[in-house]
Amino acid sequence: MSGAIGRSTGPVIAIIVFGVVYAAVTGFVGNSYYQLIMTVVPVWAVMGLAWNLLSGYSGLVSFGHAAFFGLGAYFVALAQIHWGVTPWIGIPLAGVVGGAAGLLVGVPTFRLRGHYFALAMLAYPLALLYVFEWLGYQELTLPMQRESPATWMQFDDQRIQALLALGLMLGAMFLTSRLERARFGLSLIAIKQDEAAAEAAGIDTLAWKLKAIVLSGALAGMIGGFYAVVLLVVTPPAVFGMLVSAQALIVAMFGGVGTVWGPVIGAVVLVPLSEFLHAQLGNVIPGIQGVVYGLAIVAVILLAPEGVYWKVKDVLLRRAKKPADADLAPVALSAFAPVVERVARIGTTAVFEVRNVSKAFGGLKAVQDVSLTVMSGEILGIIGPNGAGKTTLFNLLNGFIAPDQGQIMLGGRNIVGDKPYRICAAGVGRTFQVVRPFRRMTVEQNVIVGAYVHTASNDEAREVARSAIADVGLSAQAQRLAGELSNKQLRLLELARALAGQPKVLLLDETLAGLGGDDVEAVIGVVRRLAEKGITIVIIEHTMPAMVRLVDRFVVLDHGAVLAQGSPADITRDPAVIDAYLGKRWRIEGA
Amino acid sequence: MNAAQFTENFLQALSAGLLTGAVYGLMCVGLSLIFGVMRVINFAQGDFMMLGMYVAYYAFGLFGAHMVFGAAFAPYLAALLAGPVIFILGLLVHKLLVSRVTGMRGSALESEGHYAQLILTLGLALIIQNGGLYVFGSAPVSITTPLSSNAWEIGPLHGDLISVFVNQGQTVAAVIAVAAVIGFVLLMGRSRLGKSLRAAADNPEAAVYMGIDVERAHRLAFGFGVGITAIGGGLLASSYPFQPYVGLEYVIVMYAGVVLGGMGSVGGAFLGGLTIGLVQQLSTLVLPNQLQNTAIFVVFLVIVLLRPQGLFGRVARRT
Amino acid sequence: MLEIDGLCAGYGGVPVLRDVALRVDAGEFVAIVGPNGAGKSTLFKTISGIVNALSGTIRFEGADLLAVAPASRPHRGIAHVPEGRQVFPSLSVFENLEMGAYTETGRRDWNQNLERIHTWFPVLAERSKALAGALSGGQQQMLAIARGLASSPKLLMLDEPSMGLAPATADEIFERIVAIHDQARIAVLLVEQRVAEALHYADRGYVLEAGQVVLQGSPDALKSNDRIRQAYLGM
Repeated sequence: MSGAIGRSTGPVIAIIVFGVVYAAVTGFVGNSYYQLIMTVVPVWAVMGLAWNLLSGYSGLVSFGHAAFFGLGAYFVALAQIHWGVTPWIGIPLAGVVGGAAGLLVGVPTFRLRGHYFALAMLAYPLALLYVFEWLGYQELTLPMQRESPATWMQFDDQRIQALLALGLMLGAMFLTSRLERARFGLSLIAIKQDEAAAEAAGIDTLAWKLKAIVLSGALAGMIGGFYAVVLLVVTPPAVFGMLVSAQALIVAMFGGVGTVWGPVIGAVVLVPLSEFLHAQLGNVIPGIQGVVYGLAIVAVILLAPEGVYWKVKDVLLRRAKKPADADLAPVALSAFAPVVERVARIGTTAVFEVRNVSKAFGGLKAVQDVSLTVMSGEILGIIGPNGAGKTTLFNLLNGFIAPDQGQIMLGGRNIVGDKPYRICAAGVGRTFQVVRPFRRMTVEQNVIVGAYVHTASNDEAREVARSAIADVGLSAQAQRLAGELSNKQLRLLELARALAGQPKVLLLDETLAGLGGDDVEAVIGVVRRLAEKGITIVIIEHTMPAMVRLVDRFVVLDHGAVLAQGSPADITRDPAVIDAYLGKRWRIEGA
Repeated sequence: MNAAQFTENFLQALSAGLLTGAVYGLMCVGLSLIFGVMRVINFAQGDFMMLGMYVAYYAFGLFGAHMVFGAAFAPYLAALLAGPVIFILGLLVHKLLVSRVTGMRGSALESEGHYAQLILTLGLALIIQNGGLYVFGSAPVSITTPLSSNAWEIGPLHGDLISVFVNQGQTVAAVIAVAAVIGFVLLMGRSRLGKSLRAAADNPEAAVYMGIDVERAHRLAFGFGVGITAIGGGLLASSYPFQPYVGLEYVIVMYAGVVLGGMGSVGGAFLGGLTIGLVQQLSTLVLPNQLQNTAIFVVFLVIVLLRPQGLFGRVARRT
Repeated sequence: MLEIDGLCAGYGGVPVLRDVALRVDAGEFVAIVGPNGAGKSTLFKTISGIVNALSGTIRFEGADLLAVAPASRPHRGIAHVPEGRQVFPSLSVFENLEMGAYTETGRRDWNQNLERIHTWFPVLAERSKALAGALSGGQQQMLAIARGLASSPKLLMLDEPSMGLAPATADEIFERIVAIHDQARIAVLLVEQRVAEALHYADRGYVLEAGQVVLQGSPDALKSNDRIRQAYLGM
């Protein structure tokens, strides 16, 4: 349900049409109060768009956008009062201030996730609020400039201000629309849906989040600066207050997050409504504005948790539901590769060299002094009882966690301490025990995200993605949402996503789990073909018969340590392995 | 400023910090209970506290009019009464609204409903504080008790140089707060109800396997949580004037305390609140008065960034 | 006692279980085996109500279990010992057992159950005051089983009790389960990846693959089935 990647001009035209209509309506508004509303609607729409750029796409909820807004407002006001800087220059500079603040806030705060991020963001504007009060800026008034109104953006005709606001809003909409269809949008949406999976697929999550907060802060700073010019008075509660942050989030939430139109819809509906109620009933019912906003978001959360835009789109889409497409195209099953070929496939260089790696969680020693080598071109099977440390080993190999001790050499370089996206870029792709697709993206978008790591342009990424999708046999499903796929298709999707990063090694974590007999054969066929293409495969699996036929070599883990390694034939006869993994009955019954 | 004067100021701030901190601690315990059991960040906690203050205010008016309980102690009884009243309100709010986005139903939503929970409680906060403006008016009110304008003098110490004044009203409030926290800790530790709440907090799925109604546990935790914070609010009401927007000022105070104490740990939350009270009061020794709250935010940010598990918390891993 | 018929269940509308039929009689020991991801845990969770059934029926002692709220099912006499133990880590061993006895029958039989639990698992008496999170894996598994027994269940559902345990410990746990089944005269429904052991002790067995029951029957019949021999017993 995320913004579709595409190059159609539809969105641009829609924005232009909306702008023309808004401008025309503004032209006909004579009453200065309504003119003010026409000015304030775009202000909050831009604020919502700014919030949306960060929180809507990345999913990191910010309760602190007032910090950027307020800094922008104070910057423009102080620049005009103290240095005589016109808002025409002040507002763009306020954007710089907001962007810089975004960077300053982002660097430490992105270490936090979820609740902690939201709470920390809340603290910034409130801390600034008291600082600005203490600095003696309880109330800054911008001097009226009657002589040259245009220089100071203080037009006699308020409609001009409204048009300026509209211009800012359209600019923000174009920016969002452009970004959402570019690498920016898909990367952030991927982060929102599964940050770890995105990182493992080669997305530098921190860099993208920082870009988002800088842009977001810049936009909020600019519109804060503009707001100061509109109201001519700046007070700390009015620009740093909780309601400012809340309003940014509310217009976006109400309309729908992760879209260009959501914040705009929210602002167009809610701002006039609350202004109107405030004007009509403000004397009788003080606080009506806040109550309306509160009710609006409570209602949205309960009735249309994704916002009005998505709800409407869902309803429309459901009406035009496309027929279910054909299932997986048959994968050419190359019969079991003869042993001769296996030997030819396996190279003489080590891809991975794990040296004495240990990792403990609290008291639990998940991986203990493990050493193993993965030769280029081989298919290495990792088996062992549940809880033996197999997945932990994968997490160590792709950089999700760092070992307490030991080295992990990838192509001769120690990768301990590298971030997952770097390890992905160095040629390590992985899949997950419990599939982690980006559920609300299409198959193609999922794989495109995986392709970014080694592609320069969007078109190239799309090409790589298409061929990866074809390699696993999912082309017929390319435009379907990942959330609608069957288990087998999801497994193949993860393979394709990993494949799109053009890996040297694929780490496959229980890729066959939950598959029926025929599906197992199909997926094994795909894995085998990848191996024949020269990709080294490390696979964790419980389905022993399939594994015995697939792998060149086994490593058996038990209690975090290597219990045995060797050929399938040796391993299945090893008494220690039988005791630990296959069960002592294996021997009894087998005898 | 000479050494003796500084010592006096320091002791004065220390005692004031401990007394306010005890009440903050009680408020934090309420918030922490909700987070601990439900894993929900309740943004409206400050506003439930504000409602508690007004319940105490009106109850006090009622007691006062009938001259019951005496002027000195009526405010504290009124504060305690805020507990059950807000507890019931909390149960209702949970049943009608919060339960829709938490627990089993929350986990069906995007990012396990965290998003929806934050927004829903933010909406609640806006409704309560702005609705409060209509119901209670915007003029600050306060509860006066003869105790709040009296102080015990400790000292003079160190010759005649140092004497510390301890506000009687605040002292009674702090004692009640500590007693309430001890009572609550006993309830959680000893009673079947308390244990079942802790079990639901530890592992809601396993709690269902025990036959514990997790939704009911959540409802009770929400009710207790806002009720306890409301008592804290009622206790503060006799030393500070308040208005419907007062919740905002305290929501950060509470979160700072809870994060400091390690989210979800009851004892930690009390110590966290106590620490925040101390930070707030001691900061006045080196910072201008207006920056008291900024000091809290800075401490809060530093803690969140450097030690998200809190000063008193353990690294909790949920399986 | 437990009758499941035509059961489909899964997450978010995507079925994991397809048309599962299964029966456990009073006092019976039934094993469910199958590969990882076959839906064994999902089946248990559906019986307990954590996963919603999409269609089909689950009856317990004749009553429609799907109409019973999840938290009420233990009160009917079903104890679910979940995969990965899932003890309450911040509660003491004793408090964990108390939570196990949350049901009315559990409270009624508390003294008797506690005595029996301590005979079966003496280590739990020794470590009564310790926090459950501080126990070793094997001890946690014993606690999880004991916690299930504390409710005086008629049906004990055990999800991979050997998971992540050393073979010797797993064998010990198995012996206790067999002893408990013999002495307490309760029905046991066991999910296990140690197929040979599970089939050795069970009265009957089911093989679950890709969400479907592909085979069922007596342990001997299953053990002599070629497919089982090849897939699970490595012969």
